[in-house]
Amino acid sequence: MAQPLVKKDDDRDEEADYSPFLGIEKGAVLQEARVFNDPQLDARRCSQVITKLLYLLNQGETFTKVEATEVFFAVTKLFQSRDIGLRRMVYLMIKELSPSADEVIIVTSSLMKDMNSRTDMYRANAIRVLCRITDGTLLTQIERYLKQAIVDKNPVVASAALVSGIHLLQTTPEIVKRWSNEVQEAVQSRAALVQFHALALLHQIRQNDRLAVSKLVTSLTKGTVRSPLAQCLLIRYTSQVIRETGVNSQTGDRPFYDYLESCLRHKAEMVIFEAAKAITELSNVTTRELTPAITVLQLFLSSSKPVLRFAAVRTLNKVAMTHPMAVTNCNIDMESLISDQNRSIATLAITTLLKTGNESSVDRLMKQITNFMSDIADEFKIVVVEAIRSLCLKFPLKYRSLMNFLSNILREEGGFEYKKAIVDSIVILIRDIPDAKESGLLHLCEFIEDCEFTYLSTQILHFLGNEGPKTSDPSKYIRYIYNRVILENATVRASAVSTLAKFGALVDSLKPRIFILLRRCLFDNDDEVRDRATLYLNCLDDGSVTETDKDVKEFLFGSLDIPLTNIETSLKNYAQDPTEEPFDINSVTKEVKSQPLVEKKAPGKKPTGLGAPPPAPTSASDAYERLLSSIPEFANFGKLFKSSAPVELTEAETEYAVNVVKHIFDRHVVFQYNCTNTIPEQLLENVTVIVDASEAEEFSEVGVKPLKSLPYDTPAQTFVAFEKPEGVPAAGKFSNTLRFSVKEVDTSTGEAEDDGVEDEYQLEDFEVVAADYILKVGVSNFRNAWESMDPDTERIDEYGLGPRESLVEAVNAVISLLGMQPCEGTEAVPTNSRSHTCLLSGVYIGNVKVLVRLSFGIDGSKEVAMKLAVRSDDVNVSEAVHEIVASG
Amino acid sequence: MLLAVLIANSEGNILVERFNGVPAEERLHWRSFLVKLGVENLRGVKNEELLVANHKSVYIVYTVLGDVSIFVVGKDEYDELALSEAIFVITSALKDVCGKPPTERLFLDKYGKICLCLDEIVWKGLLENTDKDRIKRLIRLKPPTDF
Repeated sequence: MAQPLVKKDDDRDEEADYSPFLGIEKGAVLQEARVFNDPQLDARRCSQVITKLLYLLNQGETFTKVEATEVFFAVTKLFQSRDIGLRRMVYLMIKELSPSADEVIIVTSSLMKDMNSRTDMYRANAIRVLCRITDGTLLTQIERYLKQAIVDKNPVVASAALVSGIHLLQTTPEIVKRWSNEVQEAVQSRAALVQFHALALLHQIRQNDRLAVSKLVTSLTKGTVRSPLAQCLLIRYTSQVIRETGVNSQTGDRPFYDYLESCLRHKAEMVIFEAAKAITELSNVTTRELTPAITVLQLFLSSSKPVLRFAAVRTLNKVAMTHPMAVTNCNIDMESLISDQNRSIATLAITTLLKTGNESSVDRLMKQITNFMSDIADEFKIVVVEAIRSLCLKFPLKYRSLMNFLSNILREEGGFEYKKAIVDSIVILIRDIPDAKESGLLHLCEFIEDCEFTYLSTQILHFLGNEGPKTSDPSKYIRYIYNRVILENATVRASAVSTLAKFGALVDSLKPRIFILLRRCLFDNDDEVRDRATLYLNCLDDGSVTETDKDVKEFLFGSLDIPLTNIETSLKNYAQDPTEEPFDINSVTKEVKSQPLVEKKAPGKKPTGLGAPPPAPTSASDAYERLLSSIPEFANFGKLFKSSAPVELTEAETEYAVNVVKHIFDRHVVFQYNCTNTIPEQLLENVTVIVDASEAEEFSEVGVKPLKSLPYDTPAQTFVAFEKPEGVPAAGKFSNTLRFSVKEVDTSTGEAEDDGVEDEYQLEDFEVVAADYILKVGVSNFRNAWESMDPDTERIDEYGLGPRESLVEAVNAVISLLGMQPCEGTEAVPTNSRSHTCLLSGVYIGNVKVLVRLSFGIDGSKEVAMKLAVRSDDVNVSEAVHEIVASG
Repeated sequence: MLLAVLIANSEGNILVERFNGVPAEERLHWRSFLVKLGVENLRGVKNEELLVANHKSVYIVYTVLGDVSIFVVGKDEYDELALSEAIFVITSALKDVCGKPPTERLFLDKYGKICLCLDEIVWKGLLENTDKDRIKRLIRLKPPTDF
């Protein structure tokens, strides 16, 4: 009974939705286009056919060259019609067809005629079409008309010419640049849109002339800007000028700041937002400057328009990275955005809150996030996970709830990238927060019980092998590891075998049982798994492969100190040239060829917690250690204590870019000069750095490792080593000169000349300072750590730091002087506070733990006083820290 | 640059698609990305209520009008607020041409005029005209009234 009824409904629906283009077919429409050739043109019918052609084009349909030419020629016939509606369609159609250069000629005369027509609208449209299809030669012919059009009384004509100019500037800049007088006049136009388009074009014409842009901004900020769109452009150009001029050093005022600030009171939201954004992006923006911008953004957070909420939260999110305290006032509004319908807004709100939140709000925040996580996409979840990781490092005491959160989301559904982000975060937390280690490892173990990603399983097994044996009860991990041997694919099984062997090597009590498990692996059906099991059994058992226990550990935990690329090349050569002799790994050169440096990573790309499988570096310090130990001259310097961040020794964009990394050993320092040759026509050879250490008396040069060859754009390193008194934080200043032999290179063939010329290049000086001898190592609970240290080692003194701009500046100065790790988020100073306590922790050279408590106070005249209390494992170190501050 | 204007019906079929400065090989990716975005988020959204998203440094503002969904994509100076201005002009012009929030049928009936409006609003990635009354006159080759 119901069936006919449904059918009837269907029929009716179909009729209502019947599309005028139903069953449209290109061939048929092209046939229809023949009506354009009729002697008696039917304008209505022609418009319909053009609409169909447009529909086809907008659906992504393409015409062959022949088809397009045919349609184009037919459309040109329509210029004969006097029907206005049809003419408008014709203009559009010609633009859509974008005829080739040899066809354009057919319409140019018609369009030129329209361009000089008395009907303004013909002129405007003809300009647009001509500029779309024209090339340079035709442009010179019509340039005169275009210049007139720019200053035409009719705003539509002027805008058409100006927007054409913006497009033409890309292809024929030399012609458009000649129009700047007319464009300048148009900037003063009373028509809002003309002014907007003229401003955009004028700025593009003059963008490389700083003075001209500055003049433009100066005159317009004083005059009237008629449309919000133009005002937004002006704000952008103003920020550019501000960036280039900097702050007035005498008055401390920033030019044009008042203009930006006045735009915050504009009636158009677009302008208000643009000004607020510009203020937040000012370099070294002060709290006073920032406040009014934050206030308007805060208002936008509760706007009914999602676009405004999004724009505001996105900007505040950026501000939170550099000025978290400035954003805290918005936290309440931000919290209500967590439930925003728009997930992009909610994610930005959460990540901002995670950056600005304080320790007491963490638990509440986590509760809100848990509800939110279930209904967002993986890409948003990754952002949240990364924010949680940073939060946990900021408030190590909260590791328990944050770690629980990470382990809970690890159990839920998710793609590879998401799971990898969580695993990386847990690994980083385990590394940086000792208390989190055991629970973190167990979470990872549970994860590999049901992990569908081979890559993650092997990474976790590798990590477990390094960290698990050092825990209080290593045996509890064995079950999880051996389960992998039973349940997983060959790759994971092989990793599990290696991990078992590591436990066997480090934990004697487990050794016999590990042997049983490894013996079972001898019957695995994969040869790699069997081979590994055999090898490890032999190493651990009877010493037939390795001599001593130390060798075993070196073999299992040590890294391959030969660059993989070198092994690859040697093996390829060996395979190409068959011989009876076995391959000798000692024949592979250990020299590092233009090793990609860790600091060269793209900015913003975070190091992954796990790193690549061995022997790839797991962190910057590992990479450095590996690099240095591969150089025989430095191999006996002992364990690397600290490597500094790279210090630039050249200005940006010079011929040769050089930075230095200071590596501190107990009795030595090694300077690693990372050099890049930026001239394609040169090859540098025998590159060394001549170091003058006359202002560093305690240092004496002991070795140099020159760089054989430095081709264009291939970074490479040269090293200089110095000896210094043992365990002493010797300081000094070093002057540097780059010395090399330069050869001309023929860039077409890439071949260098035979003879080189000796040359030198002056580099900047740098210093070795006390902070280079202190490692940034955080503690999870500062108070516990402080109280567990002997009070007799405590040294307290008071210092006057003189007048300072703010407390923040004083705190940052002392932190960077000492080079220690701020704990528990105490590096952040609340705005307008008169006193502040900052907690620092670190390890002093010689492996001595040291903790610092800094109490600051600032008075009305901005004089800052500081009380410094130091405790450490060695009273001499406590005194040394005071000396650093006293002499700093 | 205003990278794309895309109008689709409620089932995600493309009605109008205009790209500017987007390489041909990336267009399909953008089309499916936008359609998916619409399917996931536009259900139950009121006419002209703006939704916003970003994908790397590119912004997307989108909305519903009658039976059609409208997406505009931009980067650099065409950030979310500039795009919301652009989409406001597009929706006003559409309502003007169709007389009301259009059904799919009505939209297709007025297809030619709608193409002309879009041509007046966005020209090769730049916002050209922003006033619906002026656009209404321009597509009939009539000079603007305020002139």
